[in-house]
Amino acid sequence: MAELILDPNIRGWVFLPIVVITFLVGIIRHYVSILLASQKKVELHQVQDSQVMIRSRLLRENGQYIPKMAFISRRHFFNNEETGYFKTQKRAPVSQNPMTDPNMMTDMLKGNVTNVLPMVLIGGWINWMFSGFVTTKVPFPLTLRFKPMLQRGIELATLDAAWVSSASWYFLNVFGLRSIYTLVLGESNAADTSRLLQDQVSGAAMSMPPDPKAAFKSEWEALEIYEHNWALQGVEADLIGSQRSEISENQYT
Amino acid sequence: MADQYDKLSWREVRELFRTWREDSERRSKDVVDLWESKLMAKVDQLGSEKYLVLEQVCIAALDCARHDVAEYCIKILKRAFPSSLRVHKYYAMHLEALELYDEALEVLDSIVKRDETNAAPRKRRVAILKAKGRISEAIKELTEYLKKFMSDQEAWHELCDLYLQEQEYSKAAFCMEELILHNPHSHLIYQRYAEIKYSQGGFENMELAKAYFCQAARLNPNNIRALYGLLLATNNIATSPKCPSSKKKDAIKLSEWAANQIEKQYESKVSDEDIKALEGLLGQLQLEV
Repeated sequence: MAELILDPNIRGWVFLPIVVITFLVGIIRHYVSILLASQKKVELHQVQDSQVMIRSRLLRENGQYIPKMAFISRRHFFNNEETGYFKTQKRAPVSQNPMTDPNMMTDMLKGNVTNVLPMVLIGGWINWMFSGFVTTKVPFPLTLRFKPMLQRGIELATLDAAWVSSASWYFLNVFGLRSIYTLVLGESNAADTSRLLQDQVSGAAMSMPPDPKAAFKSEWEALEIYEHNWALQGVEADLIGSQRSEISENQYT
Repeated sequence: MADQYDKLSWREVRELFRTWREDSERRSKDVVDLWESKLMAKVDQLGSEKYLVLEQVCIAALDCARHDVAEYCIKILKRAFPSSLRVHKYYAMHLEALELYDEALEVLDSIVKRDETNAAPRKRRVAILKAKGRISEAIKELTEYLKKFMSDQEAWHELCDLYLQEQEYSKAAFCMEELILHNPHSHLIYQRYAEIKYSQGGFENMELAKAYFCQAARLNPNNIRALYGLLLATNNIATSPKCPSSKKKDAIKLSEWAANQIEKQYESKVSDEDIKALEGLLGQLQLEV
């Protein structure tokens, strides 16, 4: 089979423009999302709730280091039936449907405007403008399975699977320019498409659990069943013992 | 002191400032001197770091009562970020430094009104009350603050200090317990807690003090202050009329051990004559068995 030779004009007018266009669109998207980003307004009682949760968690984790009386008085503060913090604080349950929250709606809209819309528009435009070109060849042989992935827009049964079509080259760029963006824009930039996924994962962990009532209840339970064993019981003997054994070890060596 | 910085170029000064910022070292005098001699002329070449440096210099200038420098920094910051609450806070701190407390409070209140979750201006209010010497009011303000921001370690530390000034030892001890919960591996916090318990007095507290001095000494065997505390606490327990004889023996053993440890520490660090003097002094602290 004769080797396929590409016109150098394809390099100059298809291959490089696609790279430049995707790169520039990423940069623009980064700055637009900075422009549109709105600082999330946090309510005072949300801060208070999260700090209370931290404190009660610490009490559970490190409670054995304080005297028993101190521990009990703190648990009383959180868990007492009549006056305990977890029992008296009534928080309005957070509405489960994000569509009812106008802030959430604008956030979602902004996310769509900066992420999905450019992808669709530029992708469609590139498909229309540069359709039907074979742009480059990957330097290793590939099986036929890769044809639909690398040769979108060219339906040629006889073409070797290593050749890449213009539309596929665009998609390779969109997903492959990530490290270039970190180089140019610094870490955690908005141009990165894979960040979309991470946001969804970490978003839940960052803010408080959506329903403080449920969180309070589970903290209350955890504190109730916690048994206080003072960690400093017998610390005197430990102290003297450890120093002794150290000395005797030194003598033997 | 100032000589060691004389030969630095402004780039090196910039590096130095950066490390100080990252390690949160104050070094106020050095910062102001270096700013005036080296960096001030180059401020526009600092790029985006300019404002961080200005903040640092502003705080340092307030520490050194160099109001002209502080005013200069705040003016530039204000021009760059006219609506920033952070800059407003520096402005309030400058007013504080000029002892214009009422005006400062007004500015701080306006910040809190605009952003309820901003912790810094609330803390500044406490600082103002403390500067005025109205400790009990400062305590009240700080407890209000801690009701909202319960896991603020710095604030618990400050509250402990304020309570100690008022000699409210049990409340100060509560604050230290809170810090132990936050940071259960710091020997200094244990040592401080033990000291408070020791000052509080009473047999039970003395036992607690002993245990926590032990813990501090165990976490850091070189903590000489904890060893001294252990010596004093055990002596106190041994001489207490409430002490059962079995415990008395243990306490005496522990106190002898602590005295030995202290001596050992000194032996490794000072000359012979000093050790003799120390032995005499420790002998006076020692109990007659």
